[in-house]
Amino acid sequence: MSENESSANGAAVTVKPGRHRESTLYSALAGVGAGGKGKSLAALREEALAVYERTELPVWRRSGFWTTSLQELDLDKLEVRHHPQGELPAIVLETLPERKRAGRLVQREGSVVQLELDAELAGKGVVLCSLEDAAVNHTELFEQYYSKRLTSDRHKLEAANAALWSGGAFLHVPAGVVVEDPFEIAYALDGAGAAMYARTLVIGDAGSDFKLHEYNLAPDFDTGQALCAAAFEMYLRDGARCRLAQVQDWGNGEVFDASTRVVEVGRDAYCHWLPALVGGHLVRQHLELAVSEPGGDMAFRGVFFAEASELLDVFAVDLHETGPSGGDVHWRGAATGSSRASFEGLIQIDPGAQQTHTYLQIHSMMLSPKARIDAIPSVLVSADDVSASHGGTVGELDEAVIFYMQTRGLDRASAVRVIVEGFFEPLLSELQDEPLEELVRAKVAAKLARASEDIREYAETR
Amino acid sequence: MSDLEITDLHVRTEDREILKGVNLSIKKGEIHALMGPNGSGKSTLANTLLGHPSYEITEGKIVFKGEDITGSDPHERAKAGLFLAFQYPVAIPGVSVANFLRMAINAKREEPIQVKEFRTELQHAIDLLDVDRSFTSRHLNDGFSGGEKKRAEILQMAMLKPDVAILDETDSGLDIDALRTVAEGVARLHDEQGLGALIITHYQRILHYIEPQFVHIMLDGRIVLSGGVELVERLEREGYDEIRQEFGASV
Repeated sequence: MSENESSANGAAVTVKPGRHRESTLYSALAGVGAGGKGKSLAALREEALAVYERTELPVWRRSGFWTTSLQELDLDKLEVRHHPQGELPAIVLETLPERKRAGRLVQREGSVVQLELDAELAGKGVVLCSLEDAAVNHTELFEQYYSKRLTSDRHKLEAANAALWSGGAFLHVPAGVVVEDPFEIAYALDGAGAAMYARTLVIGDAGSDFKLHEYNLAPDFDTGQALCAAAFEMYLRDGARCRLAQVQDWGNGEVFDASTRVVEVGRDAYCHWLPALVGGHLVRQHLELAVSEPGGDMAFRGVFFAEASELLDVFAVDLHETGPSGGDVHWRGAATGSSRASFEGLIQIDPGAQQTHTYLQIHSMMLSPKARIDAIPSVLVSADDVSASHGGTVGELDEAVIFYMQTRGLDRASAVRVIVEGFFEPLLSELQDEPLEELVRAKVAAKLARASEDIREYAETR
Repeated sequence: MSDLEITDLHVRTEDREILKGVNLSIKKGEIHALMGPNGSGKSTLANTLLGHPSYEITEGKIVFKGEDITGSDPHERAKAGLFLAFQYPVAIPGVSVANFLRMAINAKREEPIQVKEFRTELQHAIDLLDVDRSFTSRHLNDGFSGGEKKRAEILQMAMLKPDVAILDETDSGLDIDALRTVAEGVARLHDEQGLGALIITHYQRILHYIEPQFVHIMLDGRIVLSGGVELVERLEREGYDEIRQEFGASV
């Protein structure tokens, strides 16, 4: 996509609902970001600020299916709050598992409050620091990769991130370095009144092999709003391997999240990416996994679970810019209460990306009569020697299965929990990380416990 | 006094009466066979005994170990010591046999079962049913063959140690080797644990491996004839038609 089209996208959000072409909104970033070309960070911030000031809050629309509007957000009531080093948010302490880790960076709203890195890894040249620091101390990598694939003009909140981010996370795993334990990057909100512009840049150099766990957390709160607009980019160079996981749980407060995450998989590189989106008042995630060089391969997994009146909008892109390449997209989602979850999965195979083989599947489970999950797979193929297909299922609780388990002594609520956990299990076990698996399972179980009345009613109406 | 006492049980589903007054009592340690043609109400009885929500009891009662369980939830009946080996066991994707067994065992207990004790019992059950160790790490009934599903049912029964088990056509769809393994497993549980069983079947062959003390013939929602093994032989000779004529049941 050219920069002109990209700008047009930014302008489209100001057009009245119903008039714009929806396809311009649900399209891949497809490579070209705002960075590079020798632009300084200051210049990029300035450009983004101009977009921020002239655009309205975004509305995404898939006509006949869903509308995701951030226009309920009162940006004027929010501010980026700063916090002193060392003051870790309680929600981070409560949520992140006790475990061995390679390093950890915690950002609390506007500030990085904790930074630690295994000394041995530091000795091998691994860098984990705030993105602000990287802009000053690791200029070569920063200039090469910062915003290489992330745009800043598609909508107001993307522009806000690009213009206003502070703190931020930067991870560089040098060539050939293999790291057993995961790096952890956590972004946490304290509660109402905060705007957080989370910005992450990760570079896995040639032949590196590492794991990264990202957390997006907020405690429950009753009144007021909060915002996270995140921008995440990861570049995996020749032969690099990364297992990337994300746990997002913004709690029951009115948290808005409009974020973009993009992973570039280079020559013979591999990424296993699994976002677990398990809470947020209104969450819009553009998640793009791009294979940019021959031999790149990826497994793009995801789980989501919406409850109460939450609204979740996921746009997952499986992009192949060259071939041969492989892709395997598999998402599973559930919804209770009157929540809405919208999943659009796009397979895009660019001209010349011959011998690409990819498959996209999305399975959803409805646990309430008022909940709704829409799943739209789409395929844009511009090469002829490729295979790209998609499939999916929409399920409800199967009373025969519940009865079966009841005859083994499980009560109804336990049976439902087992079914839903079993539904997510094929993906959770792929995390290959016991503490993280347990965390996501616990979050699923907590959601089910909160929805138990709702699920019982649903059973009785059928 | 019997452990399972079924009195004048009338059951309907979707506005059709299926059971029309069933009387049956089973003591722990007794093996009963319930035979009858398709559609006579055998599976309805099995499902009703465990409290399947689609079957409505319009008359009669079910008493188990002195407690009236006619209106109890299925899991309460299971906890009390009643078990159903399903004719068509359902798949539970994402849940391994071992994990499911652990959950089911713990549902019956105050304290969770110790890892070591669980392993020992599981090994015993595995040996009994002649299955591979890896069987227990597969997802329950997910992609199982017919024989594997029936073995998994009896494996669960061995682990959960019910007082009375209802085996709903556990023999159907089994080849002769699988049938022998499953039947011998049930016989062992009877010997070792004093299991009482109601074996529902319309073939005689399973009864060559587990000899019932009592045989009941069900026609059109009623048990029309009860006796010993000689009834099986009579059925083998005459078929259901003779008995139907004798009792005038309209099917």
